Amino acid sequence: MSIFDKFRKTNKNSILKDGDKEVAIEVTDLVMEFKITKDKIDTLKEYIIRTIKRNKKEKQKIRILDGISFKVYRGERMGVLGFNGAGKSTLLRIISGIYEPTEGTVKINGKVAPLLAISAGFDKNYTGKNNIFLNGAYLSMDEKYLKEKYDEIVEFSELGEFINYPVKNYSKGMQAKLGFSVATAIKPDILILDEVLGVGDIKFKRKSSAKINEMMKDGVTVLLVSHSIGQIKKICDRCIWIENGKIVMEGEAKKVCEAYVKSSKKK
Amino acid sequence: MFDTVAEKKFLLKELVKKDLTAKYKDSVLGILWSFFNPLLIMLVFTAIFSMLFGRSIENYPVYFLSGRLIYDFYNSATKGAMGSIKRHGNLLKRIYVPKYMFSISAVCYEFVNFLISFVILFGVMIITGAKFYLTSVYAIIPILLLIILIFGVGLILAVCNTYFSDIGYLYNVFTLILMYASALFYPIEIVPVTIQKIFSLNPIYSAISCFREAVVYGVVPDASTLSYLAVFAFTVFFIGILLFSIYDKKLALEI
Repeated sequence: MSIFDKFRKTNKNSILKDGDKEVAIEVTDLVMEFKITKDKIDTLKEYIIRTIKRNKKEKQKIRILDGISFKVYRGERMGVLGFNGAGKSTLLRIISGIYEPTEGTVKINGKVAPLLAISAGFDKNYTGKNNIFLNGAYLSMDEKYLKEKYDEIVEFSELGEFINYPVKNYSKGMQAKLGFSVATAIKPDILILDEVLGVGDIKFKRKSSAKINEMMKDGVTVLLVSHSIGQIKKICDRCIWIENGKIVMEGEAKKVCEAYVKSSKKK
Repeated sequence: MFDTVAEKKFLLKELVKKDLTAKYKDSVLGILWSFFNPLLIMLVFTAIFSMLFGRSIENYPVYFLSGRLIYDFYNSATKGAMGSIKRHGNLLKRIYVPKYMFSISAVCYEFVNFLISFVILFGVMIITGAKFYLTSVYAIIPILLLIILIFGVGLILAVCNTYFSDIGYLYNVFTLILMYASALFYPIEIVPVTIQKIFSLNPIYSAISCFREAVVYGVVPDASTLSYLAVFAFTVFFIGILLFSIYDKKLALEI
């Protein structure tokens, strides 16, 4: 069924190079438009009636991203800043392959681990153990790899005996811990983070940031969206600032952060 | 993401396992139910209709059950595939997973149930003293073609269902008509010849009659019926793939 994968396959061009630096993510002229209507037609009956009556509400297009281009080099840590509704999450979803952009291209070189919704794939009636395998499958790990990593995941999640209980009996914190442990078991080339560093209690928080730091030391490329300026300053080398779907500023993390904070005080 | 076959295979396995455990988990009754349902319906139909059609149909329970199992498989597998994407909408909005994997897994899950229900057919065949034929091997062909048809229909329905939430109701009516047009519980000879011709266009009836020929009557399935089914199944299959590949990426915005 390779026809379905056409879009993703074309993303995997031969290794992208730019000078002597390897490019991990290349986003070119990205435009994302959503179509919205005041009352959405979601039944066939309605659709036919409206078509006959010629009473279809006009669709409005909203541009969430408007011509965004940037490159992230291998091993680089890139932060994405922006106020609510600026289009950060949409951008991450496009890079993760969930949305197809209206225009423009995204080229990705390497295995992506999106830590966007770490417990989205849980089946509540399933035990923790079964959920590790189910979620691993969702995150495109294969069976052999997951079996090797299983003990490590359980140990990292600190769940102990609870791993054999259904996830519906878990607390929010426990679910998050398990989700984080599975998602980081993958050995990615590119890590996409959407403010997930604040998972679990203080102990686990320390442990999870240690894990991410360790991954960064291994030369993983990071794309981080966060509202915490401190976090971005600490982690990222470079930064882009998005507003109204456009890149307002791109450059060294500290400089962009300062400008961003300044502008927030103005309004 | 999902570039290797091993990753997709594992995902498929996990998805089917998830549905199967949800049905059969911790319960002997789970399996019993999937035996009970067709068995009870068979008893009811036999009680009512074997008086009416008993003269023209030799072994009514086996005649009915052989048709019913095929129809049930088509019915539940296409409906499972239809809802597969919407059901996992929450996940698909957050993680990239190839959407067709959910449709495929829904069909595979129903196929496992279909295989389990064969136990009933064989049981009833033994009890009623029906003959077993070597030609039963040929039954694989209409079943394979039926699966291809189901994949095609399932993909088309999955796309439509994401855009229009009332497709499910319409499809329910459609499958009901399809059931009556599949000669499940009556001999095809009782309908007028002109209508018989229309019925023979029904691919589910083609699959059922080929299956019956191979398993119940012990003859090689009719080649022209099989080739009609094959052409129909592959046409729908390619339309399904085409439609799905066009809408694949747009679906994420609709769920």
